[in-house]
Amino acid sequence: MAKDRGSSEDYVRPIRRVLVGGTVLVLLAVFLLWRIDSPRAERVRAAIVDAVVPNMQWALVPVTKAANMVAGFQSYASLYEQNQELRRELRQMRAWREAALQLEQENAKLLDLARVRLDPALTFVTGVVLADSGSPFRQSVLLNVGRRDGIRDGWATTDGLGLVGRIFGVGETTSRVILLTDTNSRVPVTIQPSGQRAMLMGDNSALPVLEFIEYPEQVRPGDRIVSSAEGAVFPAGLLVGQVVLGTDRRLRASLTADYARLEFLRVLRSHGPGAIREPGALIAPETPPLPEVELLADEESADG
Amino acid sequence: MAEPPSIRLLMWRTVFVALTLLVFFIRLLPLGEGAGGVPGPDVLVVLALAWAIRRPDYVPVLLVALLMLLADFLFMRPPGLWAAITVLGVEFLRNREQGFRDLPFLVEWGMIAILLLAMTLANAVVLLVLMVDQPTLGLTLLKLIATIMAYPLVVALTVFALGLRRAAPGEVDDMGHRL
Repeated sequence: MAKDRGSSEDYVRPIRRVLVGGTVLVLLAVFLLWRIDSPRAERVRAAIVDAVVPNMQWALVPVTKAANMVAGFQSYASLYEQNQELRRELRQMRAWREAALQLEQENAKLLDLARVRLDPALTFVTGVVLADSGSPFRQSVLLNVGRRDGIRDGWATTDGLGLVGRIFGVGETTSRVILLTDTNSRVPVTIQPSGQRAMLMGDNSALPVLEFIEYPEQVRPGDRIVSSAEGAVFPAGLLVGQVVLGTDRRLRASLTADYARLEFLRVLRSHGPGAIREPGALIAPETPPLPEVELLADEESADG
Repeated sequence: MAEPPSIRLLMWRTVFVALTLLVFFIRLLPLGEGAGGVPGPDVLVVLALAWAIRRPDYVPVLLVALLMLLADFLFMRPPGLWAAITVLGVEFLRNREQGFRDLPFLVEWGMIAILLLAMTLANAVVLLVLMVDQPTLGLTLLKLIATIMAYPLVVALTVFALGLRRAAPGEVDDMGHRL
């Protein structure tokens, strides 16, 4: 469009105006089309990009390579510092490794001891979770083992990692487990390493509250919580979780058990003197015939 | 086109296209700053405006429209809108080119800044009316400021490196027409 001023200006100008107006209209039409039928316009855009960009590939590649090389040289400068840092970390790791080995030995010894001490009656029945009651007022799950399998009220339930709850109602073939997070759940626990005793009280949140700690200042977030045999509700020493400090500044328990995926639960048989003393919770409080239990222990593999 | 453009004219237009493609190329390089970076200037529109205010005959309408539309497609903008606005901006300068010949650079710069602001506003208003998702106001303003700041650099490049200068009073083109 050679701009031609002077003699021809008088008739060139209107033509120019039409040309410019037409161009702008076409562009706006493209824009409107894009607005109206965005997917199709985006396909056109993709086609255009597809047609244009690979043509620049031959030039893009070397420039990108060169730029990356420059970046690579820059990273050489920090190599020394990185090396130093890695060495420092390696020293720390060695110390940790030593500690881990010692702990492993200690753990083996303790396991040995524990096995000696372990009550042979503390076997378990594994049940499959049938249903998960999602009600906000009742945190419980239903297991497919029941009175037929010798399950009794009050027995502790774990998922293999940590304590989940306790049996809270036994049917003939099913039993209900009240979870630690339920508002009705009250479990005596011990906080290690300080040895403080506390009650773990569910409040329908994911983190049950630790109450009645005698010296709360001795408890720190991160401490381990294990069940205590107090009240003869649970066998002692089952891992429950870790102490955490809630947003409301209360000490709470982060449970070890994977509550999001309760599939198989172990019901621990415990035949202490500890029948539950809660009147309502007991369905079959009397006479556990011992021979039958032994029979059931034999059947356990079939059950589980 | 009343008559075939001269070789010199074609050469300058080629230079313009080459510069634009160079900007495309740099923008397309996969060295992206990623998210959260400061938006860079819109060099394309600055280039078009800087040339249009000097030698409008080097930046014909269709060329600008085509290149800007391609830019819209390549850089994921709503296609057509910014191209149309740029064409209008270029035409605005083209029609007043003779009046701008004697302006000091600072005045020219200020006018370009106002023009860019108006163009950005028009773009934003159209997008707003048609309810297209827009970048945030802060980013748009940053881009506008960067674009305005880039104007003297682009002018320096075109004037001193390429030797593009305004038509002198009484200068004629190769066909003998007054510019």
